[in-house]
Amino acid sequence: MIPLSWYLVVAFVLVGMGAYGMAVKRNLIRILVSAEIMGNGVSLALIAVALYSPTYSFTGQALVILIIAIAAAHTAIAMVLLLLYHRRYRTVDLGKAIPKEVATS
Amino acid sequence: MQEVEILFEQVEFLVIAVIVIVLAYLALEYRDIVYAVFFFGVMASVVAGFFLLLEAPFVAGMQIAVYTGGITALIIFGVLLIPRSQDSTLEVIHDPRRRKIGLLITAWVVLLSAFLALLFPWVESFPASRPDLSQSLEMLAQWLWGTHGVYVQIVALIIFASLVGAIVIIKMEKAEHLHPLEESFALPPESPPQTAEVPELEAFDVEDDTG
Repeated sequence: MIPLSWYLVVAFVLVGMGAYGMAVKRNLIRILVSAEIMGNGVSLALIAVALYSPTYSFTGQALVILIIAIAAAHTAIAMVLLLLYHRRYRTVDLGKAIPKEVATS
Repeated sequence: MQEVEILFEQVEFLVIAVIVIVLAYLALEYRDIVYAVFFFGVMASVVAGFFLLLEAPFVAGMQIAVYTGGITALIIFGVLLIPRSQDSTLEVIHDPRRRKIGLLITAWVVLLSAFLALLFPWVESFPASRPDLSQSLEMLAQWLWGTHGVYVQIVALIIFASLVGAIVIIKMEKAEHLHPLEESFALPPESPPQTAEVPELEAFDVEDDTG
């Protein structure tokens, strides 16, 4: 049987990569992808811990199902906000945001 | 024979782990943002392999369906709708103070994660025996729809509200341009409040006269 720590190492490598992307990257789409990578790591850790727990329950799997569903919802909202950001600032770069009124004047 | 199965399972795990980490790296660092999102979708599919190893086939199917089929497709369409989404795809924050704070947060997350994964006594907490999961899907359905059905319905409401909210946010952008419409219809900007009785009676009179 695969040790639990193996799963947790992979899960937390994913969480760390996602945290790096969210903290350092400037492109908003890349930041959204980083958040999704973090979500994958958390899902993996939850299911692994739930499987290896002494009183096995379906809490881990059910939580991951809810996480996946909410991830779909927050991605939809994030994409809409990203479109609005682009309409207003003409870029998806956090460092180059210029209001539309200033850019057109 | 059992040792061979364990070895085969560990080899499977290592192959999946290497593929997932490489694809996550490509999703973060590949220059073309469309391909980066594509790599993320493939990574989400490969993570489903972990779920299969962890005796969670339903979650694996849902992962592929929602992440690869839904979220990745949504992000790719969003990227294609945004003309200048390729700008600064690989650039990082230039401000050294903000970048340092970001790296510190990342280091803190990685250190905490490494402590939890490697130093926390998981082996003493949990037994090594695997529970019987032959009826996994049925028990999951009972768990979800039996005593915890309200949470499923709350999540359904959250998804519905988020989709409606997304449409409303897009409409709000159009509502900002309604002032020229008011001028074109010659509506006074500050019309005095009208009483409730008189306009209705006038309206009825007009309808009767025209009819």
